[in-house]
Amino acid sequence: MVKYVTLVLVVVLLIVAGLLPVLAMLAQSIIADGRLSLDAYATVLRSRNQWALLWHSIALSSLTTVMATAIGMPLGVLLGKTDLPFRRAFLVLFTIPLLIPPYIMAVAWFHVLGRGKLVARLCGDAVAAVTSDLLFGLPGCVLVLSSVFMPVVMLLTMAFLKTVNPRLEEAGRNMTGWWGVLKGITVPLILPGVLLSALLTFLLTLGEFGVPHYLRFNVYPAETFSQFSAFYDFRAATAGAMPLAAITLAALVVERTCLRRRTYEIQLASQAGEILSVPLGRFRGLCLLLVTMLCLLVVILPLLILLAAASSLGAYWQALTQAGDSLVRSLLYAGTAASILTIVGFFAGYLIHYQALPFWLTIDSLTIFLFALPSTVIGVGLILLWNRPATNFIYATPIVIMCGLLAQYCAITSRITASTLTEIPASMDEAAQMVGAGWVRRVACITAPLAKKGLLAGWVVAFIFCLRDMGISMMVYPPGLDTLPVRTFTLMANGPTDLIAALCMIMVLGALTPLGILALVFKGSRFRA
Amino acid sequence: MNTCRQRILSAVAVLALLWSGCAKRQTPASQEVVVYTSEDQVFSEPILKDFERDTGIKVKTVFDTEESKSTGVMNRLIAEQNNPQADVFWANEPIRAEVLRQKGIAAAYRSPQAEGIPDVHKDPDGYWTGFSARARVLVVNKRVQEKPTTIFAYADPPQKGKSVIANPLFGTTTVQMAALFTVWGENRAKAFMEAMKTNKVGISTSNGESTDFVAAGQYDFSLVDSDDAVSRMRQGKPIEMVYPDQGQDDAGCLIVPNTAVLIKGARHPENARKLIDYLLSKETERKLAFADCAQIPLHSGVETPAEIKPIEAIKVMKLDYSAVAAKMQEIQPYLKEWVGF
Repeated sequence: MVKYVTLVLVVVLLIVAGLLPVLAMLAQSIIADGRLSLDAYATVLRSRNQWALLWHSIALSSLTTVMATAIGMPLGVLLGKTDLPFRRAFLVLFTIPLLIPPYIMAVAWFHVLGRGKLVARLCGDAVAAVTSDLLFGLPGCVLVLSSVFMPVVMLLTMAFLKTVNPRLEEAGRNMTGWWGVLKGITVPLILPGVLLSALLTFLLTLGEFGVPHYLRFNVYPAETFSQFSAFYDFRAATAGAMPLAAITLAALVVERTCLRRRTYEIQLASQAGEILSVPLGRFRGLCLLLVTMLCLLVVILPLLILLAAASSLGAYWQALTQAGDSLVRSLLYAGTAASILTIVGFFAGYLIHYQALPFWLTIDSLTIFLFALPSTVIGVGLILLWNRPATNFIYATPIVIMCGLLAQYCAITSRITASTLTEIPASMDEAAQMVGAGWVRRVACITAPLAKKGLLAGWVVAFIFCLRDMGISMMVYPPGLDTLPVRTFTLMANGPTDLIAALCMIMVLGALTPLGILALVFKGSRFRA
Repeated sequence: MNTCRQRILSAVAVLALLWSGCAKRQTPASQEVVVYTSEDQVFSEPILKDFERDTGIKVKTVFDTEESKSTGVMNRLIAEQNNPQADVFWANEPIRAEVLRQKGIAAAYRSPQAEGIPDVHKDPDGYWTGFSARARVLVVNKRVQEKPTTIFAYADPPQKGKSVIANPLFGTTTVQMAALFTVWGENRAKAFMEAMKTNKVGISTSNGESTDFVAAGQYDFSLVDSDDAVSRMRQGKPIEMVYPDQGQDDAGCLIVPNTAVLIKGARHPENARKLIDYLLSKETERKLAFADCAQIPLHSGVETPAEIKPIEAIKVMKLDYSAVAAKMQEIQPYLKEWVGF
């Protein structure tokens, strides 16, 4: 009984935070002049131009996903599973692009590849003309967005590697070398995590507008964006968001189909938190060289551009004076929202994995649907739902931001939990049940502790996404209570370049500091060769 | 297990401590005003802080900028219409203010400080009042030998591939296009836009970005707001500013004033009026003229820096802003198609 009440409460929370605002928007989109009308949807379906834009978006998302996964997964394995030197330093460095607004990364790349910029100075104008032409178009978008979202794949690969039982790998080692073990045991075991990260990358790219707009590659989110920003037409904007939602659900079906063929029942969770380290042997130097080159290219180079722009201490002082409050608020909102997301995501993931309620698939689809919806749709929905005198205690306070973040990012923690739970054998829960342990006790003493690493990974990823969030926060932050990304974004218009660069660097340090403290507090993994 | 629990409890305690630290003492409602602004934060924030200091009224602000394409403030104002949270909207141009009037979100207020501001920059019924304007200017890279002096340069074949303009669906570039459609008529304006397209004009995300592209030499020239040009010139970027179409038979330069709007149903109407009075004052116009945005005062006799011309010295495009606002909504589908969205 407690189990059902708890899970139903979580479902109700998701409905209130996420579904109701979207329903408010949907209701508005099908009512014109007080009457039912599907005109807005018909317009979307009839437009030829929008199908072309949709194709652009799908192409961009697919290429970015392939690129980010092809680099991020091996990188995650190298950093999470081998004896590569400087792994922790690389982990921190490769996470940085995820913490910087993608638009700023695109600007940094323009300073490298644009006409008259770094490449022109090093290789001449003719080469810069080629690199500039490549940057302003699909290849440039793929480059920038792959570098921004590649850490998602890397982090999740590393997190899921920690859930692989070393006994299975040891058994495999008796028969074959490490390459065979990785190919036949380790990678197949972390496949749900890799597919999840690919899905997240695909969806994040699908909803991205700033970078393609800057790099002159028209994509579908421009439809929703222009309806909001140029026409102030909520009906058309909501209708325009629906094809994105449909693609999201299609991607979800593909992901499910891929996973259905596999079974994870034989796995036993690692109790001691040990993971086996793969010795790179004679390839250690080569791997180090490749990882260093990648790091120089996708992290250090753009970072140096930012650092060069913010080389004066005065810029940092000015940034801290102007945005210190915003930084504290950002950390606070992100920390709180990530904690809420971890708890709600845990129970939602539990519900999905154990199919504990008849409508578990609906809940899974709902969280992914909300993740893929443009933040403006959720933001305006939150305003329409909560901006009433009776609910001012929600709308006029940071609670409304928490609701928005919960709605937009619950898919991350619920999916990480669901994937983590596949690694925990049902027999342990069943054994405890047989000796009379109640559900609360089993969850608190068996499931949650065994899923600890997945939960921690979920918290970290959720924290990063909440910290860098701009869309939801911009739409609903209470007057005078902005966040650092919002402040950085609004200061970008005619703000001094060094100030913006300093704000980005502060954002990176602000995110890495609590994560570093967390890593120290919770460090527990022991490597064993 | 206990250690883990202790760590989690410690983390919760840290969060709780931070929340309590952030919960500042509440300002009495009578001593605050809520303003939403689309004027760049870097320029608007100092003015609002001065207002706080001078009056003791706490200003709670939601910043936004057309430049960032964040869609925030206007959509919030429209969505909040039935339970407004804002008292004042400080818009960076008059057309969105006019849209708010048309949607019934603005309330009329004739500020005594508006005395002396030319009528063309005020709504006749007092729903919005203009102050401190920007000019739409051509920004040209210094290496360009023959500097364009008219916006027709965009359609000039020798300039093919050398010009850039901000996306006309957003910001002041929309206002510019709507103004051209109003002044020239639909056929001539459309012919001009098609000629721009044939001439392979680049489309940027914002006027600031256009200015940066011109400064970097990616393009030769662009039509931007004067504040974008002046701020880059003060940063030492290799660009020059040209007021376009200043000849005797030319249409003149488009002037885009800021506007102050009182929100209908404002929770702090008295403080809102005080803030609007403050924004429309000569002193605020002087501050905005000497700030990096170098905005042009609309009151006569206000001191200005050397690099901007006083309003009297510019040949101004003659416009009816409400007609431009109506035209803007009418031409948006054409602009969307033109951009390729």
